Amino acid sequence: MALEKNESRPVAEKGEHIIARHLIDDDSIKEEKNLVIDGVDVSGRWNTFILSRVDSEFDRSFFNEIKETVVGSRINRCWQCGMCTASCTVTPLYRRFNPRAFIYMMQLGNLKELKKYIDVAWRCVGCYKCSQRCPKQVNPAEMMEALALVVKKYFPEEVETKLKLDEEVKKIYEDMILGHGRLDLAKLHTSSMQKAGRAKELLGRIERDAIFKMAKDGRAFSILKLGKPRGWGRSKDAIENYLKNLKTIERNTD
Amino acid sequence: MDKLKENQAAYYPGCALLTIDRAYNNSSKLVSKKMGIELVEIPDYNCCGIGEMKSKGAVSMYMPLRNMMIAKDSLGSKDLVMACSVCYHEFKRSIARVRENQNELSAVNGLFKETGEFKDEYAPDGEARHILEFLYNEKGVEAAKKNTVKPLKGLKVAPYYGCLYSRPSMYTFTDKKPQMDNSERPYFMHDFLEAVGAETVFYGNEVQCCGGRNVIQDEETSFALCSQTLSKAKKAGADVIALICPKCAGALDVNQPKIVEKFGQDSELPIVYLTQLMALAFGFSKKEAEFGDMISEPLKILKEKGF
Repeated sequence: MALEKNESRPVAEKGEHIIARHLIDDDSIKEEKNLVIDGVDVSGRWNTFILSRVDSEFDRSFFNEIKETVVGSRINRCWQCGMCTASCTVTPLYRRFNPRAFIYMMQLGNLKELKKYIDVAWRCVGCYKCSQRCPKQVNPAEMMEALALVVKKYFPEEVETKLKLDEEVKKIYEDMILGHGRLDLAKLHTSSMQKAGRAKELLGRIERDAIFKMAKDGRAFSILKLGKPRGWGRSKDAIENYLKNLKTIERNTD
Repeated sequence: MDKLKENQAAYYPGCALLTIDRAYNNSSKLVSKKMGIELVEIPDYNCCGIGEMKSKGAVSMYMPLRNMMIAKDSLGSKDLVMACSVCYHEFKRSIARVRENQNELSAVNGLFKETGEFKDEYAPDGEARHILEFLYNEKGVEAAKKNTVKPLKGLKVAPYYGCLYSRPSMYTFTDKKPQMDNSERPYFMHDFLEAVGAETVFYGNEVQCCGGRNVIQDEETSFALCSQTLSKAKKAGADVIALICPKCAGALDVNQPKIVEKFGQDSELPIVYLTQLMALAFGFSKKEAEFGDMISEPLKILKEKGF
């Protein structure tokens, strides 16, 4: 049930049995038609070999940047077992979404590799299966939030083009939560649809039916009564002040 | 406000339950009252952060914990009951984090000090309780059995726990405390449904994710995950799916017409909340349990089955 479109794999691709195939360069895979080792014929998938490689360009400052955040504070604990990827809800849908590999790249400070995965980096649905099963309590689900922070800091142009909608919807959430203290679900839905350029769908049969139903039973009007918590202004000021003075990458830049 | 009396509990409704998910709110209150606990809403609550504030440092913990402070300040209750799994997760996460990390606790208290809303500092001594776990532990299956006047005989229900009710156990402490639900195979909802006379079906997607978090930005993923859950439950012979989270309802119920349009009739299945079914079994009318609010029309199947 893969959803990724630009991933058309020919039948006999090089190293097709390797699960995280996208992580390995074509040149690093060695395949023989008929390989005999010590008089034993190794055919089929056993004659695929990956050349060993050396990662030498470490950037530890990057690692510390992540470690200082709330969400990425456990990055040092990861020992790369791959339980997160094996449990992941999203990986079967998007094969290039690989939490283990993302954490590895973040540990090494390998920005060049990370850049290749910006389009899938935020597909995490936050179901916490990975964090539940992680033997070292790394909390990979929240590490994906740290990844988003990193991507935002180092690749602002890519975020602007490839993750425009994700960013804008997040902004709607944040403005509403910080500004009003409560979430107006109707407004959230309509403004996000507008941002996505799908305002027309709001007039379609399915949306119209739902809106009509909610207007009829009065729920549409209860949204108007939701209001603001008393004294929220003080919390808002304190939060804005806090975010402005943060020293980590969680800091509000705008 | 007056302090809580015996058999009352502080209740955090959250943003969804007071508006479009009033069915869950009303039925939770009815069921709790029938089982002997009155839920009292805390005043001036704020949004829990709904997972969108996680990358904002201590703010992500300040948002839920402000509500814990209100519960203590105005109702004198250390604990806070809530029905939404996302809120539950946010509260549990914040409490677990400040308990084990002194820096984060002082950052949160710094924010409280700056607002000056409360006299005391925050001390992580209270617990957040999910309504399912709360009723199970405080009143038990026996209370549900005792209050059942109209057993749901012949109704096949697929219980759907979703992600954040039982996961991750480092925050929810499921598996770690004897009275808490199991993380990988929760069973509290099964027990309640069987106690009110319904039949539960096994379909394999009980703790699968609905993709509700990215339902706006990444509809495709959410629809694929939901259609899998819906069609698996339908194949297993379920009449309805029972939920305990309004976000799951957003993905499985409100979006169901779109999912059916994309994936076909296999994905068409009525969605209800667990508390709605319990309210029905406890003798409340279908109107009181607000079955009419659900987009996926559970009224039809309930009528067919004779409830």
